[in-house]
Amino acid sequence: MNALRRGIKNAFRNTVRSVGVIVILAVAIALSISMLVARDAVTKKINDVRASTGNTITVSPKGFFGFQGGGTPLTDAQMTEIASISHVTVVRASLNERLTSSETSLTSGITPGTLGQQFGGGGFGSAAGATTSFSIPITVTGTTDPGNALTGGASGGGTEKLTSGSSFSASSSGDVAIIGTTLASANKLAVGSTFTAWKTSIKVIGIYNAQSTFANNGVLMPLATVQKLAGATNQVTGATVVVDNVNNVASTAKAISAKLGSAADVTSQQQATLTALAPLNSVKTISTYTLFGAVAAAGIILLLSMLMIVRERRREVGVLKALGASNRSVIGQFIAESTTFTVLGSIVGLIVGILLSSPITSALVSASSNTTSGGGGFTRTGFRGGPGGGFGGGGFTRPTTGGGLRFGGFHSTITQVHAAVGWSTLLFAFIAAIVVAIIGSAVATATILRIRPAEVLRSE
Amino acid sequence: MLQVKNLEKKFRTDAGDILAVNDVSFEAKNGEMVAIVGPSGSGKSTLLSLVGLLDAPDSGSIDINGVELARLDAKGRTLYRSRQVGFIFQAFNLIPNLNAKENVLLALEFADWPKDDRDARATEMLEMVGLDEVKAHRRPNRLSGGEQQRVAIARAFAAQPPLILADEPTGSLDRQTGQKIVELLREAATKQQTTVLVVTHDEKIANQADRRLEIEDGVLREVA
Repeated sequence: MNALRRGIKNAFRNTVRSVGVIVILAVAIALSISMLVARDAVTKKINDVRASTGNTITVSPKGFFGFQGGGTPLTDAQMTEIASISHVTVVRASLNERLTSSETSLTSGITPGTLGQQFGGGGFGSAAGATTSFSIPITVTGTTDPGNALTGGASGGGTEKLTSGSSFSASSSGDVAIIGTTLASANKLAVGSTFTAWKTSIKVIGIYNAQSTFANNGVLMPLATVQKLAGATNQVTGATVVVDNVNNVASTAKAISAKLGSAADVTSQQQATLTALAPLNSVKTISTYTLFGAVAAAGIILLLSMLMIVRERRREVGVLKALGASNRSVIGQFIAESTTFTVLGSIVGLIVGILLSSPITSALVSASSNTTSGGGGFTRTGFRGGPGGGFGGGGFTRPTTGGGLRFGGFHSTITQVHAAVGWSTLLFAFIAAIVVAIIGSAVATATILRIRPAEVLRSE
Repeated sequence: MLQVKNLEKKFRTDAGDILAVNDVSFEAKNGEMVAIVGPSGSGKSTLLSLVGLLDAPDSGSIDINGVELARLDAKGRTLYRSRQVGFIFQAFNLIPNLNAKENVLLALEFADWPKDDRDARATEMLEMVGLDEVKAHRRPNRLSGGEQQRVAIARAFAAQPPLILADEPTGSLDRQTGQKIVELLREAATKQQTTVLVVTHDEKIANQADRRLEIEDGVLREVA
């Protein structure tokens, strides 16, 4: 029977104590696993959210919001200045205009309906709420980035995707347009068709779908073309600035604000994201501290248990040494014993940890989010409004007042954290437990080394 | 052959140094049983622990079969204890969660006895001390005091050490069982040509030894 087998056998010498040590270790290890899983899940979620929402900055004229605000347009020169700021990779400038029936041959694909009648009148300077007969203007977006002009923008659509035809280049100044499917259908237009805008014949080169009726009722044209035809030379109503790294968003937004001064409102989703992520960051902090606490507790429990056991068996250690056992052999025996405790505690702890990690993560996230109130919202690149009022077309008025989309839905999505126990997590936990066992018992070996075999005779 | 020359050991106490073993010299031949007698605190156990290399002497030499032991390093002392000496204690000192056979196997393992022969050797030794297969698989708490001391004797002799050190081997046993244990020790010593040093204060046991040494205040003298 070698030291390993003796150690394993010794682990079951005192059943009550062994079970107690194993249960306490199992609880500590289960807690460690749960915290490790919660931490991993929350970290992944934070990274996902930051990666998906964080690296853009919206720049708009001060006081401007769709057709409801005011302010003075920004300029191409200011866009060039923004592009020269460090960490800025892309500046997507846009100029939003609207075409009334007197300015275009197009007719809107959206009927005003009750909402349009109710809000549209106010938009044209009539008394709010008055019932007025009108047709909804066509939204024209002049852009340098036709692939992303509508993403998260005022049109309330998703990223536009071409369903037919082709796009135009960022520097184009041709009289060409890509139109939404709703508008194309209402006006029976296809790729190659033409329509009139600002008394100019515009050729349809593509049809897009941006997943919302309002967005699909719009026209995308080169920025330079809209500036020229609408008489808004060098004017820009908004820009989306893409930053190289999510961590540079705040500093870049600050640099843009400094550069543009009081001329512009500079906003990013990062602040809203950081606010929304606050509960998750709290969970991450709590789980990190608890993880270290649990691992330390497991180590201390084992250390104290082994010290107690070595003290109890002081005489036995002396006998073993008197019989010719080397220090290495005796220490190996005690390490085997403590490792047996840890392995058994780990097996029980891993099972319990796997079962509890998901509910614990949910409970932590839920408890943390309940103590953190949501707020703020996403700002949106808006339309250049006319003096003194905005425009509400059919379906335009979404619950976005007060700064844009409130992120109640976003918030609930953020708190939906998926706690998955991966093999790497389990392996890490298991190795950590073994290391704790070895360290825990190694300290006890200091006591073993001090025991002299002569004590066996003297104590008799 | 065991040769001890001018062995000394001091202990420091609050009251001053105590010379527990004072210039002790003696010899013991192979197969000889030597009794060391003396009152409590006379230095018997200290002498035994020095000869058994459980403790280091302050001066003097211990030679067994021509090998000087007092100057061995820690590893050498461990090796000596595992192969050159067997211990028998008053309180038996068997490992409680190992059965009788496993306790004997322990000594064979530490002495690096050939693995394939260990089991047979342990069985042989237990049979020599009168313990059958059933008792060989019992833990110490299911054996009587006498039986436990038999296991201890089997353990001490198992690795065929040239020297056996027995510290009050009958101290925890009744007279009749103690007598049997002494007889067993004599038989084993003769059979294996092992030197046996027995520390005792039991005159009857001491009288059965080949030689008798008396120790008082750390000073040893031979009694005819």
